[in-house]
Amino acid sequence: MSGPASVRFEDVTKRFGEVVAVDSISFEVEPGNLVTLLGPSGCGKTTTLRMIAGLELASAGRIVIGGRDVTALPVTARDVAMVFQSYALFPHMTVAENVAYGLTVSRVPKAEVRARAERALELVGLAGYGARLPSELSGGQQQRVAVARAVVLEPDVLLFDEPLSNLDAKLRRRVREEIRELQQKLGITTVYVTHDQEEALAVSDRIIVMNQAVIAQEGTPRQLYEEPASRFVADFIGDANLVEARIRAVENGHAQVEAGGLGLQLPARGSAAGPALLAIRPRSIRLHPEPREHAVRVRVDKATYLGGHMEYEVEAPLGPLFVVDLAVDRPLPAGSDAWMTLAPRGVTLVPA
Amino acid sequence: MLNRPLAAWLAAGWAAALLLPWYMLDDGLFSFVWLTEGYAGDRDYAPALFQVLWHERYWLAPLGLFLALPLLAVGRPDNGRGTGMLLVAAGAGGLFWLLLQGFGIDHRGVSLALLEPLVPEGGRQYGMGWGASLVALAFLFFITQGLAAHGLARGDVFVAGSIGLVVALVAAFIFFPVLTILSSALRDNQGALAPFLFLDKLFDGRIWGTACLTGGGRCGSAWNSLILAVLTGLSTTLLGLAFALVVTRTGFRAKRMLRTLTVLPIITPPFVIGLAIILLFGRSGAVTQFVADLLGLDAGRWVYGLPGILFAQTLAFTPIAFLVLIGVVEGVSPSMEEAAQTLRADAWTTFTTVSLPLMRPGLANAFLLGFIESLADFGNPLVLGGSYDVLATDIFFAIVGAQYDQGRAAVLAIVLLSFTLMAFWAQQRWLGRRSYATVSGKGDSGLPLQLPPALRRLCYVVVIPWAALTAVIYLMILFGGFVEFWGRDHTLTLRHYIHAFSVVEGEHGLVWSGAAWNSFWTTLQIAAISAVPTAALGLLTAWLLVRQSFGFKRAFEFGTMLSFAIPGTIIGVSYILAFNVPPLELTGTGIILVISFVFRNMPVGVRAGIATMSQLDRSLDEASLTLRANSFTTVRKVILPLLRPAILAALVYSFVRAMTAISAVVFLVSANYEMATTYILGRVENGDYGLAIAYCSVLILVMLAAIGLMQWVVGHRRLGRRAPSVASAAEQTS
Amino acid sequence: MKNTLRLGAAAIAILVAGPAFAAGKMTLYCSPQEEWCQLMVTEFEKETGIKVAMTRKSSGETFAQIKAEASNPKGDVWWGGTGDPHLQAAEEGLTEAYTSEHLDELHDWAQRQHAAADKKSVGIYAGALGFGYNEELLKKHGLPEPRCWSDLIKPEFRGEVQMANPNSSGTAYTMLATMVQLMGEDEAFDYLKALHQNINQYTKSGSAPIKAAAQGETTVGIVFQHDAVTMRVTGAPIKVVSPCEGTGYEIGSMSIIKGARNLEEAKKFYDFALRPDIQTMAAQAKAYQVPSNKQATPPPEAPDFDEIKLIDYDFKKYGSSDERQRLLKKWDEEVAAQPR
Repeated sequence: MSGPASVRFEDVTKRFGEVVAVDSISFEVEPGNLVTLLGPSGCGKTTTLRMIAGLELASAGRIVIGGRDVTALPVTARDVAMVFQSYALFPHMTVAENVAYGLTVSRVPKAEVRARAERALELVGLAGYGARLPSELSGGQQQRVAVARAVVLEPDVLLFDEPLSNLDAKLRRRVREEIRELQQKLGITTVYVTHDQEEALAVSDRIIVMNQAVIAQEGTPRQLYEEPASRFVADFIGDANLVEARIRAVENGHAQVEAGGLGLQLPARGSAAGPALLAIRPRSIRLHPEPREHAVRVRVDKATYLGGHMEYEVEAPLGPLFVVDLAVDRPLPAGSDAWMTLAPRGVTLVPA
Repeated sequence: MLNRPLAAWLAAGWAAALLLPWYMLDDGLFSFVWLTEGYAGDRDYAPALFQVLWHERYWLAPLGLFLALPLLAVGRPDNGRGTGMLLVAAGAGGLFWLLLQGFGIDHRGVSLALLEPLVPEGGRQYGMGWGASLVALAFLFFITQGLAAHGLARGDVFVAGSIGLVVALVAAFIFFPVLTILSSALRDNQGALAPFLFLDKLFDGRIWGTACLTGGGRCGSAWNSLILAVLTGLSTTLLGLAFALVVTRTGFRAKRMLRTLTVLPIITPPFVIGLAIILLFGRSGAVTQFVADLLGLDAGRWVYGLPGILFAQTLAFTPIAFLVLIGVVEGVSPSMEEAAQTLRADAWTTFTTVSLPLMRPGLANAFLLGFIESLADFGNPLVLGGSYDVLATDIFFAIVGAQYDQGRAAVLAIVLLSFTLMAFWAQQRWLGRRSYATVSGKGDSGLPLQLPPALRRLCYVVVIPWAALTAVIYLMILFGGFVEFWGRDHTLTLRHYIHAFSVVEGEHGLVWSGAAWNSFWTTLQIAAISAVPTAALGLLTAWLLVRQSFGFKRAFEFGTMLSFAIPGTIIGVSYILAFNVPPLELTGTGIILVISFVFRNMPVGVRAGIATMSQLDRSLDEASLTLRANSFTTVRKVILPLLRPAILAALVYSFVRAMTAISAVVFLVSANYEMATTYILGRVENGDYGLAIAYCSVLILVMLAAIGLMQWVVGHRRLGRRAPSVASAAEQTS
Repeated sequence: MKNTLRLGAAAIAILVAGPAFAAGKMTLYCSPQEEWCQLMVTEFEKETGIKVAMTRKSSGETFAQIKAEASNPKGDVWWGGTGDPHLQAAEEGLTEAYTSEHLDELHDWAQRQHAAADKKSVGIYAGALGFGYNEELLKKHGLPEPRCWSDLIKPEFRGEVQMANPNSSGTAYTMLATMVQLMGEDEAFDYLKALHQNINQYTKSGSAPIKAAAQGETTVGIVFQHDAVTMRVTGAPIKVVSPCEGTGYEIGSMSIIKGARNLEEAKKFYDFALRPDIQTMAAQAKAYQVPSNKQATPPPEAPDFDEIKLIDYDFKKYGSSDERQRLLKKWDEEVAAQPR
């Protein structure tokens, strides 16, 4: 192992016949980072991952891993390991044989193979399961075998293809924490494909959002959440109420925004005066039972009690809004009127 | 820098050109007289370099240029596209020149005007030997390496090389001979072009007549063949499925016996089943006589014609369907069946809506094999055909019969091939683009579904009588070898066995004095030698077809099926036409027998491989690849162990077919390589049934032993699934 | 892995055993039954020391092979098998002209074959056409003993006669040509049409009808008489009949293949095969044809040619491909296509 490596895409395109699956994308993954490729199905994220692995060859562009141009290199010649959505455990081999497979075919001495495989199983909490067949394990355990099988090779880059999609919700949360912990402990550069934005926000150093074969936005989870670069990203990452607004003036990078009777001052993010799009996170809307200053009147259409919080659908001058309110003790009944203000965070102008 | 495989092939190419005898040796491939008798100084034994320098074979010189080209790649990045172009140019140029001079200059001298300046007076050459073959291979791999650098097969050198190798082999040993003989359809007996004669022969009433529909007269052999093939395809597929279901999905007690019994017919040399059927169901047959006496009817000749052939073919080809289907039936994922059951489907609905559709690839392949086998079968129609003419027998007798009309044989072969093509196309349509992957990378802990009771009873009703019938026929065959004259004089005797297989104590130890030993050993050896490459090539091809994508895949797949679809007679004659002259001069050797078996039987490996492999999730391969295993290792460690049923099917089938093949072999056997079947055929022709049957019985026993051995060597596939018998026991106790 | 090695070893073992260079060698394509071929080879090797590589194939198969190999012949002598394919080979220039010193010792018919083939072939034995019937079946069905061709078209023999298809069998073609020469073409076809009503099956192979008769599958089989004798000798209840109207015959022939690599040895074998002492040995191999050398002794079981009314068979005319194609086409259209 040469230490964590970077992954760089330079104008990479992948075509399948007429169909362009990935359209001239460029990005770089810093060594040791976990970067998530996030997007709806069919956006090209899995193809991108498979191009890193070498399971697909790029139609155009350059792929560089750890400073080495691997564009034309076949899978085997790249120092990557992958955890498959279906786990792809070899059904005719035991757990230990599965984990040892990569080492064995790389001609690592037998004793070392055994030691490293055991260590890898221990790492994922499956010490002692080596003699079982994959079919004798639970889904979560199989998943961990797949991870152990990949990390035991100490690859330059570790790839995950929707690794949690076959697990139940509770297990998913636990396993994703485990993956994140393991990745940070080992410091392996990791690329992770998912369509679940919560999962992406939870595990990533950086996220690359893809849509229709191109990169929609790239950044840290916080950047994506707080400063979505487009309507698509704002909508896809966390729920957002997208409303029409008007920028009255821009001064020193700050825009005077007017939306449905509310006046706001927001970072302009390159927008000029004129019509604009405003993204409002559900938690950034405050509802008050009594009228107050700078508040606009709304009507509660629907109220749902969810234990830890309330969810409301309200009709406001800005249009229909979805609201998450932590004030469980003071529910607003459906049909009542309320007054709404906006929190300073969680409201942002979306560049056109 | 050159990568390792390329460097190795470059070295091999140079070594072959500098060190190995260029031409085919008269004394066989493994003779080493060339080392002691002249070597480079001898016109026949010299390597290419010395052929050019000392023996005036200047036309070989350009090959050196093409061998030298790849050296320019030294010092360049090994995955650069420029290097790729260079390699393709070197390989393609070299191969082109090799073929040009090979076909342009033969044992009679130069025939291509273009080459005349290079050939001195009286210059000629013989078939390709070690040197030429290795150089040709080296050129081939230059091309595939070059194309891999351009992204063919995702840059995988092993995959690209495999595609190249299979394509080259199929081209050389299937397309080349088959086209050679099919082109004779357009020529008259003197060899002149005669397109109208071709049309005349093609629309002949003997092929397409429909008189049998309108009453009286006969139908053309094309219709007869087609009807027979469809019926045989259906009956073998259904019977094979019934057997496979009984063996895998029920608690039937005598499974092992059933398995053996289903295998018996394929290991039976031709003619024997036909003879046994005549002795049972013929006009004077035991069963016919019994029924006739019982009902007071005149014993008829009902067995001759369509019923008899269909019966014999079903008996003979059901095992192939069984071998293909058993892997598929085993492979159907229990979880999917359980899923269906949790969706409120009862056992019967689950079977018809989930299990059966998931077996589609197996069913389609089994039908295709039965259909093609029936079309190409000539032994059974010969014995039981009556006046029911089929294409395969017509082809045989167009060549060896009183007509001496090779052109007509080629025309008939074209008709037959077009049927195959149709069946192939229909199969592709039926399977469509659906996915049949059921062995996925996730462990499957479900229990295989027991058959619904109605279906189980149906299977038993079909399987048990059929098995009993098979058993009776085989007991009769065994019995036939121990009596004076089968069917007439049933005095017990060992005469036939002694004549064929006696071993006496001679002066220098044991003497194998029996008349059959010679052909027996030859057959055993040739069959054993051909089994492994047949299975290997078949499965490799299947893997390429299922897992890799390249442009001409469909054509490629059909090409591999071609030699199987063509009757052996045509293959036999086409091999003589193609391989009796340089550059590939193989007639009279054991190699031509091995090659003909490999390429004739390879399709079974391909079909079995495809059926089983389409059940394996592709991510298993990909996982292995990302774990640093190269494609070769992936195939060896992941694919092959999961393909065990297919491997076994391919091995067994190719071994057995090589032991029992007759029609192609008739033309390819030579004095030193006589095969058991031709010997048996000679006995049958002479009316010497006792000896023929005794010999067959011995062959059957030997093959059974060999199959047992193979089963043991290949072992069982480990899918980590629970056995259905456990399930049934659990059901009963709960 | 071990298995691969073992198989590899076996492969080498058998491929090493390629043909060896002896002082003299030749390749024989042999068309009669195995025993006779073996006998000839053994005797010839014993006498001359020339090593013979022999392959046995039927005459049709051998013809097809010689034709396919024409551009690079592998065989030297083609010994035995019915005369027509030998004549066809001569016509297509696949065989070599040769006149043996023994030619004068031969029967007329054998010499006529030599002449008909432009010296490229010679007769080595003859077999008369006829039929055989199963005595037990005949008795069981209460049928009269057939003695003549005309008996076979009687209505009581409906479904009881079997013959080969002349398209596939030289034997059946000889029968077709015999009828044409015996009765004249029109009457011959009338006869064949009538016979068609009694035929239960046209077999593919020429000797199949008599085997079927031996097995009790048919009562009468139209074949060469020596084939019927062979069945009788094995113990089958077969009676051999030489038809009263007279009959045709085949001339088992021998040719040297054009471009033979061992021409000297081939000629030696050719002379050897025509010698009376050699031809007399045929009976040892259960061959019941009539030898072509006048001084050879025919086997006692052989049909006696003096008692058979033989027609003056025109091998040249009926062996030519044009006449054959014409007759076969006519038979196909006028006889085989008829309903039964």
